[in-house]
Amino acid sequence: MTKMQTLEWAFFAIAALLTLGGAVATVAARRPIRGAMGLLTTILGICGCYLLLHAEFLATIQLIVYAGAVVILFIFVVMLLGSSAESPQDDRAKVSRYVGAGVFLACVLGAGALMTSVTAERSKALPAVAATYGTIEKIGQELFTEKVVPFELTGALLLVAVVGALAVGRGKQADPTLASTSDESNPAEDRPAGEEA
Amino acid sequence: MTVPISMFLVLAAALFATGAMGFLLRRNLLVLLMSIELMLNAVNLTLVAFNRIHPANHAGQILAFFVIAIAAAEAAVGLAIVLAFFRLRGSVRSDEATALKN
Amino acid sequence: MEQLRTQFPTDDFSLIALVLLLPLVGAFVCGVFGKRLGKQGVRTMALSAVGGSFILCLVAFAMLVGAPHDAHGAAGHAHAATRFTWNAWRWFTIDGGTSLVPIDVAFSIDPLSGVMMLVVTGVGFLIHLYSSSYMEKDPGYYRFFAYLNLFVFSMLVLILGDNLAVLFVGWEGVGLCSYLLIGFWFSEDKKASAGKKAFITNRIGDFGLLVAMAMLVYYAGSLQFSTLERSHASLAQMRTLWPIPGLELPAFLMPSEPFRASVPTLVALALFVGCMGKSAQMPLYVWLPDAMAGPTPVSALIHAATMVTAGIYLVARTSFIFALSPFAMAVVAGTGAVTAVFAASIAFAQTDLKKVLAYSTVSQLGYMFVGVGSGAFAAGFFHVLTHAFFKGCLFLCAGSVIHAMHHVIHDEEGSQDMRNMGGLRKHMPITHATFLVSCLAIAGCPFTSGFFSKDEVLFKAFANQIQTTQKGLWVAPAWYGQAIYAVGVVGAVCTAFYMFRAYFLTFWGDFRGWKIVKAAKSHGHDGHHEHHGDEPLEGEAPHESPWQMTLPLGVLAVFAALFWVVYAEPLHLTALERFWHPVFATASTHIVERAGAHAMMFPLLGVGAAIFLAGSGGAYYVYVLQGGKPAAAFVAAAPGLHRIVRDKWRVDEFYDATILGFIDAMGETAVAMDKWLIDGVIARLTSGIVQLLGALLRLLQTGRVQVYAASMVLGVAGIGWFVLTPHASAELDTARLRSSGDVTLTAAPGHGYSYRWAEGDAAPSGDFTTNASFTTKLDRCETRQVHLEVRNVFGGISKTTYTPCREMGNDCCTKGPAPAGGAKRAIGDATTEGGAP
Repeated sequence: MTKMQTLEWAFFAIAALLTLGGAVATVAARRPIRGAMGLLTTILGICGCYLLLHAEFLATIQLIVYAGAVVILFIFVVMLLGSSAESPQDDRAKVSRYVGAGVFLACVLGAGALMTSVTAERSKALPAVAATYGTIEKIGQELFTEKVVPFELTGALLLVAVVGALAVGRGKQADPTLASTSDESNPAEDRPAGEEA
Repeated sequence: MTVPISMFLVLAAALFATGAMGFLLRRNLLVLLMSIELMLNAVNLTLVAFNRIHPANHAGQILAFFVIAIAAAEAAVGLAIVLAFFRLRGSVRSDEATALKN
Repeated sequence: MEQLRTQFPTDDFSLIALVLLLPLVGAFVCGVFGKRLGKQGVRTMALSAVGGSFILCLVAFAMLVGAPHDAHGAAGHAHAATRFTWNAWRWFTIDGGTSLVPIDVAFSIDPLSGVMMLVVTGVGFLIHLYSSSYMEKDPGYYRFFAYLNLFVFSMLVLILGDNLAVLFVGWEGVGLCSYLLIGFWFSEDKKASAGKKAFITNRIGDFGLLVAMAMLVYYAGSLQFSTLERSHASLAQMRTLWPIPGLELPAFLMPSEPFRASVPTLVALALFVGCMGKSAQMPLYVWLPDAMAGPTPVSALIHAATMVTAGIYLVARTSFIFALSPFAMAVVAGTGAVTAVFAASIAFAQTDLKKVLAYSTVSQLGYMFVGVGSGAFAAGFFHVLTHAFFKGCLFLCAGSVIHAMHHVIHDEEGSQDMRNMGGLRKHMPITHATFLVSCLAIAGCPFTSGFFSKDEVLFKAFANQIQTTQKGLWVAPAWYGQAIYAVGVVGAVCTAFYMFRAYFLTFWGDFRGWKIVKAAKSHGHDGHHEHHGDEPLEGEAPHESPWQMTLPLGVLAVFAALFWVVYAEPLHLTALERFWHPVFATASTHIVERAGAHAMMFPLLGVGAAIFLAGSGGAYYVYVLQGGKPAAAFVAAAPGLHRIVRDKWRVDEFYDATILGFIDAMGETAVAMDKWLIDGVIARLTSGIVQLLGALLRLLQTGRVQVYAASMVLGVAGIGWFVLTPHASAELDTARLRSSGDVTLTAAPGHGYSYRWAEGDAAPSGDFTTNASFTTKLDRCETRQVHLEVRNVFGGISKTTYTPCREMGNDCCTKGPAPAGGAKRAIGDATTEGGAP
């Protein structure tokens, strides 16, 4: 193998390790803050994969939006929740959990085999790409000409999401007595309308 | 590129499976949301990989771009809901969301 | 007269419409507007309706009598009766098996129905007049007259009907009116039940009538009387009853010789079942005594004069069918004789005046059937007419007596009980005189109409013999007529005895009802008052009824006494018989008088007189001379027998235990089935299954999002599996298969599919290509196998096989063996199948 090829393989291996390791950490961590860190790792690994696939613009966006915004958001919420964000050790159904993990592993291997068998021949002949493939100019051109409608709609969607998040996340108007003085005043106030629904 | 495309696809599949398992098995709402992000990332990777196989246009990458945008919006709203739920129940366990039971 | 004839020609005699319409309008007006009209108005309406109808009947009858005969003689039927017909409209057409049978709403008047309609409207009018006073105090006054008019209408429809369908409408109509009138005071349960009993028993008989009508439609292709009479000979065929034609039977049920019956026998027996119900013969007579629960005028009109005679009318109308079957005639005569004696035996022990009259009606109906069953249609029907007069008069007299008794004895059973009567001839002279005349008539006193009619019936029973030209038919043995005669004589003696018993108990001796006091008492007659304990009743003497009630009594008594002048064969007065001769001519061809019987006419006449003397003399001896002591001694000597006879031989109880019990048991079974099977199993089982399914499905509704997501994953996995596995299927294009033998198979597309084809026995081999269609050519009747293998992207392979066959229209594909691909079949093979395509 040439040096370039070895580098590529190494880079891919690191990216794949980061991705999968981060994913397992996210899913298996007891403390959500650790899970958020795992998510961050996965995102970095994916970013590396994008770079291998000639998707530079997307890699950048991934870092900015995902790593820079979504994960931060998650961390904010974890901090807001404080100690309640952590779930206590759940000893129930340990067996089913291990069985689930085994099933999951089998599914992964099966999916892998499936994927390999399908695309084994195809990957022998990857077409060459131009240097401008995946650059911000080319994507920008396509985005604002052919795909301008979804683009605008996505903008609208983001607006809706912002407003929705505001509305849901704001909660009741200026209620400082929540959760701290629940012993003296109405204990039922903490759980309004939940049971009756 | 010497790395066969199928490796990327396998990686994406594994990532998706991990995210799915996390979504189905964990009870912490925050972990649920993070698993959703994992699944979305896996899908993005698949899209970009296939776009590499058919590089005539950038449809795959652009779709992945939109997916990222929507994932962000969804994460925002989802976390707002988690906050609201926490205010209601005092915990973030999905077990406590039983209003639709039976 | 001539104007009338031109106005109403013979074949479009719309005067019938007026005759029918008047009572119908009367019923409608009295029923709907009765309350507003008031008693006076209702009375006027009803009486004028029936009276008007009677006058029109008289006019029609006069036209009938004076109708020229040569018109029919020219048609070649020398014996054809004059007949006025009127066809109202075509009702419907039914498929009679061999031809279409039209059924019209048509009416006709011929000598038989002409006389009968006079009786119906005439006696009906008299009874309307009687009821206008009898029912004066009843709150349902207008309802009564509406029903009564409706009854007259229905009876006229029955009599004037030109075919069996219209007759059946009238038949049911009188049944309905009988139910309405018997249960007139329906607020009392016993009376309502009596009405129901009458209707239901009638219905059982109607089943026979319907079966007869169906048979006539099938065998004769018509229900019209004139058509049936013309072609009656075509009915004379035999029909195999057992084994049932067309039915496969196991060997042990097959008889050595098929059991056959002649069609006229079957039809006549079915008709007679209807008559048994309507005319209260054994075993369906049980409703008539209970029908006395209705008002007395109802009993007089319906159960003496008109409705119950509908059965004999039917037999007389279809006399030509009955005459073809000696067996049916024998059954009719025998049933009549048995009923006559049976009912007479029950009447001996009854104490209720109306019940005595009811059983005597059943008995006299038996005599009428003896008459028509012996082939003496004129004599039997003459007895119908005389019975209408004297029995109607008897019932009206009874009503008059009960009316008088009711003034003081308000209890219904008490006011009808003969033990409370006695000596009434002093207090009610007119009633007494008319009752006596009618009693003499029914007992057969010489030179009353009853004497001649009953004697004629018995003589003809003795003398007639029914012959048949059809071979193999059962003919009555020679002694049969004499046996019937003997039974009839016994019944006549009993009749005379118990009728005079009733007469003497009611009108002779001392009055046993209450103590007659001249002055009116303070607790007056108006309204009903409580009897305080055992206080002996006191009241004014029973008084005679008003003229509206006594006038009909008188008229009927006169007819009962003098009607014999129209038909008294020993005195050679046979006007009525000659008038009716054309009607019964066809039937009379089968009736012959036995040799030497005619000489017995006058001796038998003497027997008739002796019957009267024996019966009435016996009653006089027992009840007047001996004051009833022999009767009491008999009761003391045989108390069990007396009890059974008084309880009507317990026939009603027997029916209750067997038939009604059976139906009750079926009802209980149905209730149990409903409770356990339908409610328990079906209702609860289905609801249980639904609940179970619901419970299972509810397990999915945990409210936890992850469970829902897991189900989604499972679903996606299933769909994914389906998509990822290869499915081999192909469509056959057989448009050109039959003509040129080309068949094209097109495989169903799929993602990344590649195909491989082969035909015949070889398995597919070689490379998989994307060629999705395959064409092959078949020879005639050839079957070939085509194999398809499909491979998808992942390398999975699925196989399927198709076997098209070139069908040439004569089932050669299914009949012959499928050859291995390539063998040819010759066209000539089609002929070995034997059938033309």
